[in-house]
Amino acid sequence: MAQYEEVTVHGYEEFCKAVSERAGKEIFAYFSGNKDAQGKSWCPDCVKEPIVRGEMSHLPEGSVFIYCQVGERAFWKDPSNDFKKTLKLSGVPTLLRYGTPQKLVEEECFKSDLVKMMFTED
Amino acid sequence: MATLCRVRHRWKRIKCAHVLTRSLTGKFDYDLVVIGGGSGGLACSKEAAQFGQRVAVLDYVEPSAKGTKWGLGGTCVNVGCIPKKLMHQAALLGTAVKDAKKYGWQISGPVCHDWATMAEAVQNHVRSLNWGHRVQLQDKKVKYLNMKGSLVDEHTVKGLTKAGKETILTAKNIVIATGGRPKYPTNIPGAIEYGLTSDDIFWLKKSPGKTLVVGASYVALECAGFLTGIGLDTTVMIRSIALRGFDQQMAGLVTDYMEAYGTKFVRKCVPKRVEKLSSGALQVTWSDINTGSEHKDTFDSVLWAVGKAPETKALGLDKLGVKLNKETGKIVLGADESTSVPNIFAFGDIGEGRPELTPTAIKAGKLLAQRLAGHSTQLMNYDNVATTVFTPLEYGCVGLSEEEAERRHGKDGIEIYHAFYKPLEFTVPERDASQCYLKVVCERGGDQKILGLHFTGPNAGEVTQGFSLGFQCGATYSHLLQTVGIHPTCAEELTKVNITKRSGLDATVTGC
Repeated sequence: MAQYEEVTVHGYEEFCKAVSERAGKEIFAYFSGNKDAQGKSWCPDCVKEPIVRGEMSHLPEGSVFIYCQVGERAFWKDPSNDFKKTLKLSGVPTLLRYGTPQKLVEEECFKSDLVKMMFTED
Repeated sequence: MATLCRVRHRWKRIKCAHVLTRSLTGKFDYDLVVIGGGSGGLACSKEAAQFGQRVAVLDYVEPSAKGTKWGLGGTCVNVGCIPKKLMHQAALLGTAVKDAKKYGWQISGPVCHDWATMAEAVQNHVRSLNWGHRVQLQDKKVKYLNMKGSLVDEHTVKGLTKAGKETILTAKNIVIATGGRPKYPTNIPGAIEYGLTSDDIFWLKKSPGKTLVVGASYVALECAGFLTGIGLDTTVMIRSIALRGFDQQMAGLVTDYMEAYGTKFVRKCVPKRVEKLSSGALQVTWSDINTGSEHKDTFDSVLWAVGKAPETKALGLDKLGVKLNKETGKIVLGADESTSVPNIFAFGDIGEGRPELTPTAIKAGKLLAQRLAGHSTQLMNYDNVATTVFTPLEYGCVGLSEEEAERRHGKDGIEIYHAFYKPLEFTVPERDASQCYLKVVCERGGDQKILGLHFTGPNAGEVTQGFSLGFQCGATYSHLLQTVGIHPTCAEELTKVNITKRSGLDATVTGC
């Protein structure tokens, strides 16, 4: 039985749909700049993704991990995009616990102890 | 019988071995263990870690009688300064909306307030602060334990989790910064069962409705103030005087304003009992201290704001002989925050005679950490601390009250400059400014050093903070006269004040 469910989405609408389909569950979301055909992201900080992946074994039982690609660089730089306007994201990568003020932004995502702390503490 | 003897001897041997190890190597788990993760505890632990000390902080919130609990950050963040100021702001905005019409805003119909919307927004902000503190501790390499700490001996702290699991930590130095919790009255039937305190009010999901606030502290008045401001029927019950310890003339102006703006006051009365009616409402019976006559009324909520007390019993302080003040239960401290036990220190609200303020706790905590790390000998200066009461009409002050100045210098040794002024913003909406007032208490002779500065008016906190710098630098009345005001502001009236109380002249400011 899977400890957690991983969902991959592209863009704001897909993200909202994934969240609404899993109401009542503990949802963690990781936002990253889009990866190209070679798997490389335009966002220079997002290359540290393996650090977040390394802590995923600590995700609580029955939780959901949504991996969301926000879009191309131009889309992200526009301050009126829904991620910035509605979800109040300030930078990528962002790792957050949906529905709570708990979030790690940019360099904070590189610290495995902080990632582990978010996955394991209340 | 024989088994018992064997067990006892074994335990003695183990304890001896433990102590022997400690004194041989001098090795403790931590250089510093801080009990209490509030304004003081967090500042102290983070500062100590900066100096390379191995630090652990234990924070645990014993749920209130009503079951309310909260996260890391202490009273200020969770059930004090932060939610208070936000709810005070919510109330001020209500008044601003009423004024807005006179300024030309077209607002159709009456504007009402929704508690749930405000509470959720405030609670979310507090939660983001809890998280922020958690990340900071992790970042600064401070070990955080969500456990209830108590003292085992001068170098040992026991931590207890909610589930009852024990952890033992040894430390070179121990700091106690556990603050205080609201007191419940002990002799009023129904008080604990049916009443709330400031620990609960900010975390209510539903509006408290028609509320009786018992007490006359700044907690009582600030809460009653914002409850009135958001449109709730609010009554304050005072036994004797309001804002004990503060300048009483200013306290009167604060309560007069509240009364003019809709807060009901029941003076010289004490509650006798609280009963729950079949409707679910609370019936409070109280008696008039002078006449002895009894009165009753029903309320949706009763908020006790009759003082705060430290939780020293659970800390195990009596076991170690840490000296406490018999009356207040607070820890008796030296100027360097030391207790009667050599390596145990304490500061913040739990310290006897200390101001119960966040900025003083933070500063004292940082200086203590610096001293313990051997980086400084500087002691905390508790003098000249400015403060503000965030009642609907805010009151800011720094230095001595008029009463205290008179006590120290005699009535003839002081000169008081004062003025009643009207904030410009009050003119258009025709708001009553009768309680907007300021006074500067000075030494009578020489340069007339400023002994105390008092101001009631909008943004009193912002105004007073600026002047507190001058106060710290030993400002005199002549300095004040040399200071040019910023126009148009309320603060500038402080630079123009020239009528003395002694002259008996009308102190109302007239025009530009």
